[in-house]
Amino acid sequence: MQLRSGNQMIAEGAVYAGCRFFAGYPITPASGIYKSMIELLQQRGDLALSSPDEISALAYCVGASMRGVKAMTATSGPGWALMIETLQYALMTETPVVIALVQRLGPSTGGATQGAQGDILLSEFCTSGGYTLPVFAPSTPAESFELTVHAFNCAELLRMPVILLTDKEVGMTTETVDYGRLDLKDCIDRSQVTGGRKNGDLKTYAFSSLGDVPLFAPVGEEFKVTATGSAHNKAGELKKNDAETLEVLHHLEAKVTERKSDLTVIKSDCAHDAETLVISFGITARAMKSAVRIAREQGKKVSSLNLLTLFPIPEAQILNAARGVRRIVIAEENLNGQYRMLLGSLLKGYDVVGVNKIGSMITPDEILRVI
Amino acid sequence: MMELDTSPTTFLTEPCAMPFCKGCGHSHVIRKLNDALVKLQLDPAKVNLVSDIGCIGLADALFELPHSVHTTHGRSTAFATGIELADSVLRDSNLKTVVLIGDGGAMIGLLHLVNAALLNVDVTVLLCNNFLFGMTGGQNSAFSPLEFITPTTPRGNLIPPIDLCRVVEDAHAGFVARELATDHDLAGVIVDAIAHPGFSLVEIVELCTEHGTSRNEISGKALREIIERSGQRFGMLKRSTERPEFGDAYRRKFPQVEISWSAPAGSAVIAQSAHTLRNQMGLVIAGSAGERVQTAAGILCEAAARSGLYASQKNDNPVTQGSGFSLSEVCLGREEIEYTGIEHPDAVVVVSADGLSELTDKRLFERLKPESTLLIDASLTVPESAATVISLPFRSLCGPGKAASGAVACYLEKIHIISPELYSDLLAKKSKSQEPFFTAKFLEAVRSAVIS
Repeated sequence: MQLRSGNQMIAEGAVYAGCRFFAGYPITPASGIYKSMIELLQQRGDLALSSPDEISALAYCVGASMRGVKAMTATSGPGWALMIETLQYALMTETPVVIALVQRLGPSTGGATQGAQGDILLSEFCTSGGYTLPVFAPSTPAESFELTVHAFNCAELLRMPVILLTDKEVGMTTETVDYGRLDLKDCIDRSQVTGGRKNGDLKTYAFSSLGDVPLFAPVGEEFKVTATGSAHNKAGELKKNDAETLEVLHHLEAKVTERKSDLTVIKSDCAHDAETLVISFGITARAMKSAVRIAREQGKKVSSLNLLTLFPIPEAQILNAARGVRRIVIAEENLNGQYRMLLGSLLKGYDVVGVNKIGSMITPDEILRVI
Repeated sequence: MMELDTSPTTFLTEPCAMPFCKGCGHSHVIRKLNDALVKLQLDPAKVNLVSDIGCIGLADALFELPHSVHTTHGRSTAFATGIELADSVLRDSNLKTVVLIGDGGAMIGLLHLVNAALLNVDVTVLLCNNFLFGMTGGQNSAFSPLEFITPTTPRGNLIPPIDLCRVVEDAHAGFVARELATDHDLAGVIVDAIAHPGFSLVEIVELCTEHGTSRNEISGKALREIIERSGQRFGMLKRSTERPEFGDAYRRKFPQVEISWSAPAGSAVIAQSAHTLRNQMGLVIAGSAGERVQTAAGILCEAAARSGLYASQKNDNPVTQGSGFSLSEVCLGREEIEYTGIEHPDAVVVVSADGLSELTDKRLFERLKPESTLLIDASLTVPESAATVISLPFRSLCGPGKAASGAVACYLEKIHIISPELYSDLLAKKSKSQEPFFTAKFLEAVRSAVIS
């Protein structure tokens, strides 16, 4: 067993996944990822460097990815606010990139050394047009490793930005990690164009069915790339609302929603006769685990669901876990239950209760009280 | 750079219909850039045009052969930098990237320009300065001359124009030039800029015939005088290859080494059950920043892990890292730790006034149970609690930097869940000292305190 923080395990997971480029700007509580990536990549001769701000950090990563290299950056709320413009560019240009968002207390500069789960909505609903972005939330250092690999795989598979959403408590707490028990998944690389630039039929954003992911061509190799953040047709030509351009805009969403099952990771612990289902994620999923264990010792019939994939919302898995229960408790460390608000229509008819707070971790007792 | 036997005679889509207004300098720039690419005999697959928002951003669609990356406003140089960084360090380093940017993009992206110059990444920036924002209606820019009239400076511009060439020169750019779009040697200057190994900037001064001339009495002939009146110069302003290009410098410092990821070798566990712990326990250690509170906790976790236990260490400190309190919460268990917080600690270590006041604020002492142990430095007032108190002069006996680990060692001596010797051995190893970590005098004081 080794002692590792969640931040260190994100860096290790990134290297395992084949990440060779990291640009970072320090921010508590995400700086540990930056520091670890400098160590891990520079010793390999891969590229890890300091950027002058968060906008540059993500733009450097997106540029590197356009050249065909797997890239990642890490930040927290204030830096994330600056990255949103460039994240949308990555989405529009179908460029794979992974961003670790290690949450701290907001709004604004907020509390640098204080954990929180207050960026659930901000991480997902940050695009003009409201596109679905994959968001994964580890609750332990081991899950931080595994979900980082998953995040890279999804970014490559879908040619798009993917968000790893952790917080100060997962990122900066050091814990014993049993490497022998890590689930080491295969790494996926983006499918690339073959053949040279004379292949005139190929287009930078070619797809036949709406949910297809276009083959990737690196800038700087034989196939001519025409990339743009403006509304464009399949050839990458700036267009207004013609049919093909609108088709591309639908495609950007369809490629995600059609692969929902590939993206979904959950850990469920369901009792067949449960009366209550507790749903949580990230650091709070650990308090949930304790609370559910104690509740069962007290004879209560309760199930739990840890959502490692927050977005796209794993609706089928949530409904499946909720089957037969009367009451659903959703625990998250934020002001007003951000994820609970999103599940409102899905969980119509259930008695839905939130456990929410800011300023410190939700305790097992606080969840136990509402079970 | 790669040269081909049969290099293209043009990189443009021919016939090339320029989308710009009659007389606009952008058409000149596009043609001169094309002339430069042809003259350099570059492989089109190794040429990348990165364009920004604004009229000059229409340029990429005019070139048939090179890669084109049309970006968000002002970020063109940053994306170009990322592409070139990856190319120069992780690929063949043959790619030539040219950024086309206008007044607006240059100012929004000022940081990106400065940092590209600082890095000395192999990017050529062609800055098309026409004193205003043409695409959005001719509003003034940071490049507008004094008294320049635009829809947003109808009574004349009050602010002197920026000298961007000087800005990037001060950021150690190796190649800086200012030209008129109509200068006969422009293509030659662009050739030199692209061939320059590292960052290069060519500011190209031109006329916006749609918005620049209608309100101001200027013509193409007056441009040189307008620039010089504001104290800026034309021509080759700096040309030096003294600094290595970023990729060269990086590859020299960090050569490629094939290392694939592997789990850390072997297990650090020295004995699977070298502990006597039954139920999960929580220990809170509080002291001052810089006094190795987190080290005391970290080594405890390491000793626990080596004894076959699961451990977690959650740290807390104010925003500053070198002053104020420092706090570590350690959980030890036979099973994986679920919740990493500690509501009712089994032990609390307090070795400084900062730590005492932080825990008092958190009302932690009220939550101690009769079976809890409070280990506190003798210099501090013992707070009210239900816990058993051990008050020893940890600070004076061990020194402030070892007070926290001394108190932890004292607790281990009391409850023996893991070997106190393993803990002090690991501390000694961490401090790289041959001497025993704690003095005999301290250990004696600990023994008598624990016995009593």
